[in-house]
Amino acid sequence: MAEFDEVNRKITLKLVYYGPAQSGKTTNLMRLHDLLAPDLKGEIMTLETQNDRTLFFDLLPLGFRTPSGWLVKLKLFTVPGQVAHDATRKAVLSRADGVVFVADSQRAQSANNAEAFQNLEENVQRVGLDFSALPLVVQFNKRDLPAAQILSEDEINQRWAKAPWPLVFSSALIGEGVKDTFVRLLQQVYPALDKSFALQEIHGVDQQSFVAAVTGG
Amino acid sequence: MELEPRTFDREFDLAELLTGMPLARMAPILTTLLDGEFRLVTVDGRLMLGRAESFAQPHCVAIRHDLEPLGYLESASADEACLSAAAGMMELMLQLSARYLMAADLHIETVQEDYASLKESEARYKALSEELEARVRQQVETIETAQRQLYQAEKLASIGQLAAGVAHEINNPIGFIRSNLGTAQQYVGDLSRLVALMKTGDIAQCRAAWEQADMGFVMEDFAALLRESINGADRVTKIVADLKGFSSVDQAEEETVDLNDNLRFASNVLAGQLKDKVELVLELGALPKILCLPGHLNQVFLNLLLNAAQALADQGRITVQSEAAGNEIRIRISDNGCGIPAEQLDRIFDPFFTTREVGSGTGLGLTVCRDIVQAHGGRIDVESKVGAGTTFTVNFPIG
Ligand SMILES: Nc1nc2c(ncn2[C@@H]2O[C@H](COP(=O)(O)OP(=O)(O)OP(=O)(O)O)[C@@H](O)[C@H]2O)c(=O)[nH]1
Ligand SMILES: [Mg+2]
Repeated sequence: MAEFDEVNRKITLKLVYYGPAQSGKTTNLMRLHDLLAPDLKGEIMTLETQNDRTLFFDLLPLGFRTPSGWLVKLKLFTVPGQVAHDATRKAVLSRADGVVFVADSQRAQSANNAEAFQNLEENVQRVGLDFSALPLVVQFNKRDLPAAQILSEDEINQRWAKAPWPLVFSSALIGEGVKDTFVRLLQQVYPALDKSFALQEIHGVDQQSFVAAVTGG
Repeated sequence: MELEPRTFDREFDLAELLTGMPLARMAPILTTLLDGEFRLVTVDGRLMLGRAESFAQPHCVAIRHDLEPLGYLESASADEACLSAAAGMMELMLQLSARYLMAADLHIETVQEDYASLKESEARYKALSEELEARVRQQVETIETAQRQLYQAEKLASIGQLAAGVAHEINNPIGFIRSNLGTAQQYVGDLSRLVALMKTGDIAQCRAAWEQADMGFVMEDFAALLRESINGADRVTKIVADLKGFSSVDQAEEETVDLNDNLRFASNVLAGQLKDKVELVLELGALPKILCLPGHLNQVFLNLLLNAAQALADQGRITVQSEAAGNEIRIRISDNGCGIPAEQLDRIFDPFFTTREVGSGTGLGLTVCRDIVQAHGGRIDVESKVGAGTTFTVNFPIG
């Protein structure tokens, strides 16, 4: 749940990119850093990596000032996807206000996707969040790969037909679908935020201006 | 929304990011770079490093971290460019500091998480082991109950055997007492007839009748019969008295006895049950009297004798020996029967160990024997050879 700091007039949100190893979480964050133009944009902080694999997390801070003069700060995290780092994954997921699940479209990765999604569900519960109320977007990444190698959009849509979450197809490598994914998440996060902090009423920020301020239009 | 203390993703302020930095060494470096005194203050004006009093007209640059200024670097001497460069360097250092703090605290968080789940599984194991313990306790109770019941059954079984033995023992004297009394009745009849003749006063006829009835022998035999019957009655009395030794095992009192008497008694009880071709030999040496629970020891001896008898089946020899050796009484009960295999020998004193049919009531016999002997400060040992026989040796301390 977002942090509300009256002294420093600051609201801090935590958004987490989750998913199996090598699905493109870190790449999503790097693209966002390039693509977004919010009022305030920090540098990506990459903790430790090993052969390009995240060992702790990546962090991208974004923010804007409300008409009321408050700072709304969004901290975008990635988790390490490798199975072994579950404790770290859980700690990073703690206190999340929203999650992007980055799935790997490659056929061969179906089982890993399923396992990682189940792991997300379990960890959400373990860290005391309500899975049914958690803003979540499912992104199928690496759509640029040859069709033979990846699941078709039809197949994926069919498999996820019953799921309540927005489904986005992307290629983080090229930068397609990355911003869209993020926007879909912001749209889900806004209502809870507005409810808790009266963003619209007190701070003069409606959903549209919220998304625009974070992404830079 | 309240945050848990020290989550790795918390917001850091300037003071926290400066902890762990060698501030004492930074101060002279900044002084050199800025060409004079400086002040490093937080956004809310607290001094972190540098000159205590504020400057009259300082240059001032924000120190940013993430998205916001955390503090200001002030200098009266440095130009804007130098001041900005120094602030930029501080920002890089703060960034490194933040990285370090986040990694460290994330590490602590995961370790604590591991610890928490460790605690959780520890608690689970504890619950499990308590449950197991309870189950074991219950099991032990069940076993103890079963053991008590078996012990009871054991006692009943030996009481049954005892009863059979005692019946035989009593039957024998009662038998000859009955036959003696029958004969005595005839003799009394003979005497009555003589008394009738005597009343006629015919001495010659009386004398002839006396001779004819062989009254000399009758009178002699009559006395013998009565003597024998009195002995027999005494034997019955003795048996009944001995029987008390068995019957009051539960509220037994210690007595000073000659164990040979107990051995004889148990042997007598057994003798009634032995097959014809089984020989029972007593080789009893003189023993000092000892203080013991005679009823209990009778049970031990009877049990060992019954074991020996069972090992013999139809024929063979049981030997009961006793001797005082040094400061011990040694009693040996041997048979030349089937013997006990070596692998069973170690276990024959174990509760419920029996090589015989279930229900024959001997599963606890030797266990009880050992318990009784040990309660008297003694030892019970067994030696056996398959096909050659078995010897139980019981040792009691003297005095
Ligand atoms: N073809 C293709 N490759 C991609 C795409 N997105 C990421 N990759 C590649 O996949 C590999 C892994 O990407 P990362 O972003 O490091 O993956 P991650 O999810 O952060 O992996 P972990 O940190 O190990 O969990 C890299 O070689 C990327 O270049 C994509 O859309 N298409
Ligand atoms: Mg990564």
